[in-house]
Amino acid sequence: MSSFKEFKIKWGMAIDLDKCTGCGACMVACQAENNIAPQPDASNKLKSLNWLVVYELTNGKPFPEHEVAYLPRPCMQCGKPSCVSVCPVIATEKNEEGGIVSQIYPRCIGCRYCMASCPYHARYFNWFDPIWPEGMDKTLTPDVSVRPRGVVEKCSFCHHRFMQAKDKARVEGRDPNALNDGDYITSCTEACPNGAIVFGDVNNPAHKVHELVKSKYAFRLLERLGTDPQVYYVSRREWVRRLGDNYLENEKVKG
Amino acid sequence: MDKNYDLPIDAALFPEGCTRCSLSKFLVWIAAVMAVFGWGLYAAFRVLSEGLGVTGLDDYFGFGLWITFDLAVIALGAGAFFTGLLRYILNIDPLKNIINLTVIVGFLCYSGAMLVLVLDIGQPLRAWFGYWHANVHSMLTEVIFCITCYCLVLIIEYVPLILEQKQLNRNKLVHAIAHNFHLMMPLFAGIGAFLSTFHQGSLGGMYGVLFARPYIARDGFFIWPWTFFLYVLSAVGSGPVFTVLVCTIMEKMSGKRLVTWEIKSLMGKIAGTMLTVYMVFKLADTWAWANDILPRSGLTFDQLFYGWIYGKWLLWAELFACGVLPAIILITPSLRNNRTLFYTAAILDCIGVTINRYVMTVQALAAPVMPFDSWETYAPNWAEWGASAMIMAYAALILSLSYRYLPVFPQEVKLNK
Amino acid sequence: MALDRRGFLKFIGGATAGILATPVVWKSLDDVSIWSQNWSWIPRNIDGANSYVPTVSKLCPSGVGVRVRLVDGRPVRVLTNNDHPLGGGLSSIAAAEVQLLYSPSRMKRPLKRTADGAYVGITWEEAETMLVEGLKKAKGGDKLAVVSGDETGTINELFTALAAEMGSKSCFLMPGEAQPAAKAWELMGGEGQVGYDIEKSDYVLAIGANVLETWGPVIRNRHAFRVGRPHGEAPAVRFAYAGPVQNNTASTADVWLAIRPGTEAVLALGLANLLIKAGAASPAADFAEFRALAARFTPEQVAAQTGVDAKRLAAVAQELAKAKRPLVIAGSEFGQGGGAAPVLAGLALNSLLGSMNREGGIRALPYARKVVPAAMDRKALLQNDLVAWLGKVASGKAAAPQAVVFYEANPVYALPQADAVKATLAMACDLVLPVPMGLERFDDVDTPYGCGQVVYALAVPALAPLVDARPAGDVVIGIAKKLGADLGVAAFADALKAKAEARGASFTEPSATNAHVSGAVLPVNGIALRPDVLSKAIDVKAPAFPVALAPVAKLNVGTSMTATPPFNTKTVRRWEIQGKELYVMMNGATAAKLGLRKHDRIELSNPAGKFTVRVNVFEGVMNDTVAVPAGHGHTAFDEFSKGKGENVMRLLAAGAEPGTGLSVWTSAGVNIAKA
Repeated sequence: MSSFKEFKIKWGMAIDLDKCTGCGACMVACQAENNIAPQPDASNKLKSLNWLVVYELTNGKPFPEHEVAYLPRPCMQCGKPSCVSVCPVIATEKNEEGGIVSQIYPRCIGCRYCMASCPYHARYFNWFDPIWPEGMDKTLTPDVSVRPRGVVEKCSFCHHRFMQAKDKARVEGRDPNALNDGDYITSCTEACPNGAIVFGDVNNPAHKVHELVKSKYAFRLLERLGTDPQVYYVSRREWVRRLGDNYLENEKVKG
Repeated sequence: MDKNYDLPIDAALFPEGCTRCSLSKFLVWIAAVMAVFGWGLYAAFRVLSEGLGVTGLDDYFGFGLWITFDLAVIALGAGAFFTGLLRYILNIDPLKNIINLTVIVGFLCYSGAMLVLVLDIGQPLRAWFGYWHANVHSMLTEVIFCITCYCLVLIIEYVPLILEQKQLNRNKLVHAIAHNFHLMMPLFAGIGAFLSTFHQGSLGGMYGVLFARPYIARDGFFIWPWTFFLYVLSAVGSGPVFTVLVCTIMEKMSGKRLVTWEIKSLMGKIAGTMLTVYMVFKLADTWAWANDILPRSGLTFDQLFYGWIYGKWLLWAELFACGVLPAIILITPSLRNNRTLFYTAAILDCIGVTINRYVMTVQALAAPVMPFDSWETYAPNWAEWGASAMIMAYAALILSLSYRYLPVFPQEVKLNK
Repeated sequence: MALDRRGFLKFIGGATAGILATPVVWKSLDDVSIWSQNWSWIPRNIDGANSYVPTVSKLCPSGVGVRVRLVDGRPVRVLTNNDHPLGGGLSSIAAAEVQLLYSPSRMKRPLKRTADGAYVGITWEEAETMLVEGLKKAKGGDKLAVVSGDETGTINELFTALAAEMGSKSCFLMPGEAQPAAKAWELMGGEGQVGYDIEKSDYVLAIGANVLETWGPVIRNRHAFRVGRPHGEAPAVRFAYAGPVQNNTASTADVWLAIRPGTEAVLALGLANLLIKAGAASPAADFAEFRALAARFTPEQVAAQTGVDAKRLAAVAQELAKAKRPLVIAGSEFGQGGGAAPVLAGLALNSLLGSMNREGGIRALPYARKVVPAAMDRKALLQNDLVAWLGKVASGKAAAPQAVVFYEANPVYALPQADAVKATLAMACDLVLPVPMGLERFDDVDTPYGCGQVVYALAVPALAPLVDARPAGDVVIGIAKKLGADLGVAAFADALKAKAEARGASFTEPSATNAHVSGAVLPVNGIALRPDVLSKAIDVKAPAFPVALAPVAKLNVGTSMTATPPFNTKTVRRWEIQGKELYVMMNGATAAKLGLRKHDRIELSNPAGKFTVRVNVFEGVMNDTVAVPAGHGHTAFDEFSKGKGENVMRLLAAGAEPGTGLSVWTSAGVNIAKA
């Protein structure tokens, strides 16, 4: 395995699972923003392409003690991504300031090894060519190229918005490497009416997310496997935090 | 020259001193093979023209039957490099009687695997990016390098056999080339052994490095996870007997004896020895996995199995019924020389390594890692079976032609007098 | 020069080596990466200059305020508008609104039904002539009926004015929460429209009302939730939810009180009893009678009737009593058919909590004055009960109309007992006229029901209609003229302008929202709690079925008018729809009692209808209750929704609420049999 870079800027999320109602607005906003084709039948969830998926969590207790929570799962943009080192053709990298794991579609050969490596199922394969209903392709945004069949894709933290925010800062004579909190946010962050997602530079004390990830209620998915995700979750509910990682029976939950 | 009209029409092309069935009978067999091949070709066409969505693969099972098939045939094709190594480098001379077959089987396994891989990757036109934009950190890059290079080596090893075809060999130049190739064979056997060892290992390494997938993640030595070594051992522990099984099937089909029992038994002994070594390490590895890697990941042994489809029976079958048992049979001379036991052990051995490749490919992906994720199941569909059958048909075709027209078995004439 | 074999081979060899030495081969090989990315059949994105149009969604029932992003005039995204009083995020339908402009099921031109039942395209001129002819026949004496699916628009004034000119008062809104609330508020003697000031409340108890998913101005509600609940901190605002299903609202609420479907009013009375016992009182003149009524609803009684856990009920009562600015919101868990009783009881609770006419409590919001003289105002329109009227028509108690105009309404799908509705109206319209979609037209949203403030939001077209559609308002004005009636406005735009002025808004300056907020509230004096009405109204007979039916409403599957937007199929949960089959939810105990397991195929049936579904075991459902996702089972529209799942409305039959006469359909039950 190769070693991984450290970055001065680390874009990350703090997603409050006590605020997510599972409405799905983020999933729709993600598709529209990133030119993901609609699917007439998306009931096979193992073949539905959506960079952001909302999982349903249950405390496992019977009625009436039952509780439910929803967990939006973008790409974790791992600090030590299991997918990057396995790609045989360097179609996915983590080497840009900000720590976003890239996916280079024209380079990808579609071997799906990265998908096998990712325990979060954040990576998706284009099983067919994307098809928009007639005329609907006019609503494609100019920011994200459309992927043909046969390549893997995943959440990019709306990387184009990062580029746009940096461009804007440059035009305004500000330092593009010191964006203000909120200058760059993802489409899902913006869409969520409940404000469940807070997005920003985890390393920057001026960004709200910097404090949030230090909360005693903050956790990351499968932390003990060593992927070092840049996406954090927050929940005051212990059972929710316990579902963030695999725990042996007598192990205590983090936080 | 007088013609013997009792001989098949194409008798002039047969290896010196060998008899073959009539051409019409042969063509009926070939037609059956081609029917299967055609079905697979149709599947391949659908996959290439419409996309991999026509298969039973999905975002959870990015790897399925095809990868299992590739890994299994590459392991079973290991008879080629290992026998070559023993024959040419370690000078175990009797193996010359089966070396041709191991080369052909090896070539078929590797070229077949490469054909399947072309279907299996989403962008076949970019297949060569593995060289062009190689990521030296990826085990898969190593696999791509070694498999393609080794396939070339196997072609080089196969070519002299073709050139030794009776009619071709009459040409002086061809004869000279074939002869010179033979002289270089130890060199290629050496290169082949090196390449093959590495990619057998890399295939295992591919899985072992997936540190976020506790079912297959393994610690290891330097950059190589234990699966690297286990894959090499399991391949050499099964490849030789697979060649013997292929040989025996050919004997059954042709009604002739092609290789002496001594050679088969020797191959069984070689495989059995390697299988025994493998099983020692595999058992140790399984123990360490269950008692170290899993608890470290917060998981228990039981959590990595699911229902009947991914049940523990697969593990027990792989380890004991298809591992320890054939190993004992194959290394014990008295058991090995009982033909029923020998063939049973050979078949179990091959099944064992196939189960291993299957569970490490499919069950590894089926096992949820996120606690709120669910076990999913995978079943290949017609397109995957079809394409796999196409490769089998391709192998049957090449083997049939090779047997009919090439001097594959040096002992055939003597054994069938 | 003769070319021998050797020379030819040399030439070929040389040429090959020569070409390989040039970059041609290598470059084109490398270019594979580019052209294998850009096949002709892969849509290309087109660059251009960005522009943004602030507007309000007429598509989403929440009336969410949004910004439309256009690239060279092409709309590409619906974006959040944080400055908008109804904005602050997106609903899952509004987020897909741009793409819906190109929905495969979109009507592209006026259609006429032919004798064999097929629809053929006609011109607008032909269509208008047909319409005028049809309307002429329906002149005088309630022979014309109008059904509107728009609860908040000024467009209703034009339709109702046209109807009035034709001598008809049969104007209806599709059923929603606003009608029962208006009825309840009227019974209590309140003026204007009931408003719920969620933004300033510190304890919100939603009874039935799915306040974080479908009830009222949802995005505004959810924005308030967002503000009141900072990440990882103890919430500044507590939310409690009472309903039969642990729905989206319940999932994030601090407390979920599980109750049987249709028992919202009883639960509220139980809480009233506990509050009164703890010393709460209301200034209402009939408080003594109310106290007597509430006293009947002891915790044991309430637990027996609603199935609620008495301890949890008491805890919620205590929390309400302790809260500084508590607010109770009662409604139907699927946004319709709840009757006036829950709202009456809920408002009574607010009165007991001192939340009437208070910040963070109940507000009486003035209705806007009419801008079309002959029109019905909103208050009058809300008094008409479509379902009751249809029942009367079906039973011959009311005259069948000669003509019915449906505006953005899909009654055959969306009304209870959909099958019967179809028969009553001999449904299948003779004429179908396409109107511009919400993003293509001027329109307005005036203070949606539930909003705590007067909000007037203008919908501004982001683009010209993509199909041969005409704005409904202008068509109505033109038709009226042809029928010899003057509605008093020359164009729909004038009506909007007048309405904005009536709300004190002017949109002369460019605005980031095109919305106006007013602090105007009406005094709340002399409110009565109406225990007399309540005592009758809560006496709805319990369903005589083994299993109660709880429809679950979610916005992601769209509305009856849009069906499921193309993007949204992915947001439908796995065990909600599989292929074409609908899954219904029940808890493990109920399933065990019925001998059912997950994935079992069952038939749900009652006198209203029946259909086959599969079982999903979900523990967040009340005992002996089956939760059925609403919004599926469309028989029309496109491949994204047609024929998928079943329409729960087919299992609902309306009854009359004793005491108010309102149509109610929240207390349904079903038989369950293995299919």
